[in-house]
Amino acid sequence: MKAMILKEFRELRRDKRTMAMLIVLPIVLLTIFGYAANFTVDSIPTRVIGPGADQVVANAPDLFDIGEVDPDATTDDALAWMRDNATEVVIDTTTQPPTAYVDGASLFTAQSASVAFARMGDQVQVDILFNPDLETSWVMVPALIGLILTFIGTIITSIGLVKERQSGTLEQLAVMPLKPADVIIGKIAPYFLLASFDMLVVTLLGVWIFDVPFAGNPWLFAVGAGIFLFVVLGIGVLISTVSQTQAQAIQLAIMLLLPQILLSGFIFPLDAMPTAIAAIGRCLPLTYFVEIAQGIFLRGAGLGALWIPFAVLTGMALLVFSAAVLRFRRDLAPSVHRRATSKAA
Amino acid sequence: MGAPLIRATDVTRRFGDLAAVDKVSITVEPGEIVGLLGANGAGKTTLIRMILGLLPPTDGELQLMGRAPDREARARLGYVPQGLGLWDDLTVEENLAFVDEAFGSRATAVPEALASSRESLVGGIGLGRQRQLAFAAALGHGPELLVLDEPTSGVDPLSRARLWDTIHASADAGAGVLVTTHYMQEAEQCDRLVLMSQGVAVASGQLADIVGGTTALAVRTERWQDAFAALDDAGVLVMLSGTHVRAVDASPERVRSALGTLEAALEEVPATLEEAMVARERSAT
Repeated sequence: MKAMILKEFRELRRDKRTMAMLIVLPIVLLTIFGYAANFTVDSIPTRVIGPGADQVVANAPDLFDIGEVDPDATTDDALAWMRDNATEVVIDTTTQPPTAYVDGASLFTAQSASVAFARMGDQVQVDILFNPDLETSWVMVPALIGLILTFIGTIITSIGLVKERQSGTLEQLAVMPLKPADVIIGKIAPYFLLASFDMLVVTLLGVWIFDVPFAGNPWLFAVGAGIFLFVVLGIGVLISTVSQTQAQAIQLAIMLLLPQILLSGFIFPLDAMPTAIAAIGRCLPLTYFVEIAQGIFLRGAGLGALWIPFAVLTGMALLVFSAAVLRFRRDLAPSVHRRATSKAA
Repeated sequence: MGAPLIRATDVTRRFGDLAAVDKVSITVEPGEIVGLLGANGAGKTTLIRMILGLLPPTDGELQLMGRAPDREARARLGYVPQGLGLWDDLTVEENLAFVDEAFGSRATAVPEALASSRESLVGGIGLGRQRQLAFAAALGHGPELLVLDEPTSGVDPLSRARLWDTIHASADAGAGVLVTTHYMQEAEQCDRLVLMSQGVAVASGQLADIVGGTTALAVRTERWQDAFAALDDAGVLVMLSGTHVRAVDASPERVRSALGTLEAALEEVPATLEEAMVARERSAT
């Protein structure tokens, strides 16, 4: 038995990825959970409008981080800001008593704001927009679509590609007179289509079973999901190019999937995280998809309000997918013929 | 005669400080079967990967079908890798259909021996049948060159004989064949051989050329174990077949001296290819 235990430790010591999962991952998880696992929002971006704005600013609890005070703005301006996600709360003093518009799509922010306003008694009437009953499912379902796409894009795609390498058929494909682009597109397109089908099914089920509203433009959502899919498929292909076995691919995919689940604002609000942890979250593609999905589903936001997450995701897609295709192409068609031609010439 | 199907001149491939293939030259002409021999790690598969254009050579000149080993050149060859390169989750028919489409060739008929398995998943059929299928897939588009990496490894002698019939038929039809093997009986079926050891081509030519220079002495004695130990201790290249001791590339005088007082009859016999290979490898190190 002693020999068996020693053998196991020796093998584990040399398996760097498993060691990383055993040692690094718990530390990373502990750190992230310690800092990020916080449902309490300490600061809520707030704007105040109308003639009584100055008085509200003086009396507002510290929780509300009042950034803009505009006595001349109208209620329509306030609703437009909310739809564009320019702020989480607008206190409108054109009504009597003042009305606080709260973004129900930001669940925990809205809950914290509601509690704070309740403590103020009759001074403010609260109008929760986009998710009036603060239904968790309304916020989760759009984000879950992103998680499902991430799962298919990274884990399933990388497993499929590594299987080809592991069984030796990738080499056979390289020998066949197929263009590298044919192989790459032929290999990735089915996953793209399957993930798109899954996205459609989850969206329809979410709307049908959980009554999640779909307030925005479905085509805009499809474009956003498509761009996001390119990012996650690219990550899946990249994983496959550095993994020799399916087990390695799964390990790596999980290591990349966990931070996305925890830090994308999908479960814990980014506003409640320390700046450094939130900054990590803002480097993750799922963060931007969640912003797009919740914006289109719940707020009915258009491209004008969502151009930043769209632009970031497009940049990520170009970067990650190009890198993935180049690496995969290198496996399929090494620069051998260029070298050999020059030698032969 | 046109350009050889394969022409590799002083091809080298290094991995760091290690030369997996070191200045190897080889040609394959239409209609000939060239055997690439050598132990595991001799550099055979690395050489094949370079010939196919899957691995860039560090140095040397390499041509496939008279040109750089590019996609157009590869379209004219059939390749059976060691791992067979079949898709386990596709059926026999589906595998052939995919390869046909990739090569743009007419539908390859399912070999008669596989007729009953045409709708079986490849992962579920035996290794012998898988090899037959791999051959059928490689031959479907009428290649001018067959590159076979250990094509009969792990199959029974009857299946091996059938696969070699296929190889000979292809060569008779004008295709060149480059085949790696470590079965001596198979090497004897090749028109020409290249013997590799530690990345270097230590011998090449026809079977007689490789074996020709090597001598062997059959050492007949009741005390064969003592004879083996004595010769081995003396540094004589000694091989054992059952209880028959054979000294390779050693003079009768040297063998007598090594045996000392041990009584044994010596008889000069033709060296086998295996003995010649071992002798060549030994002299190369």
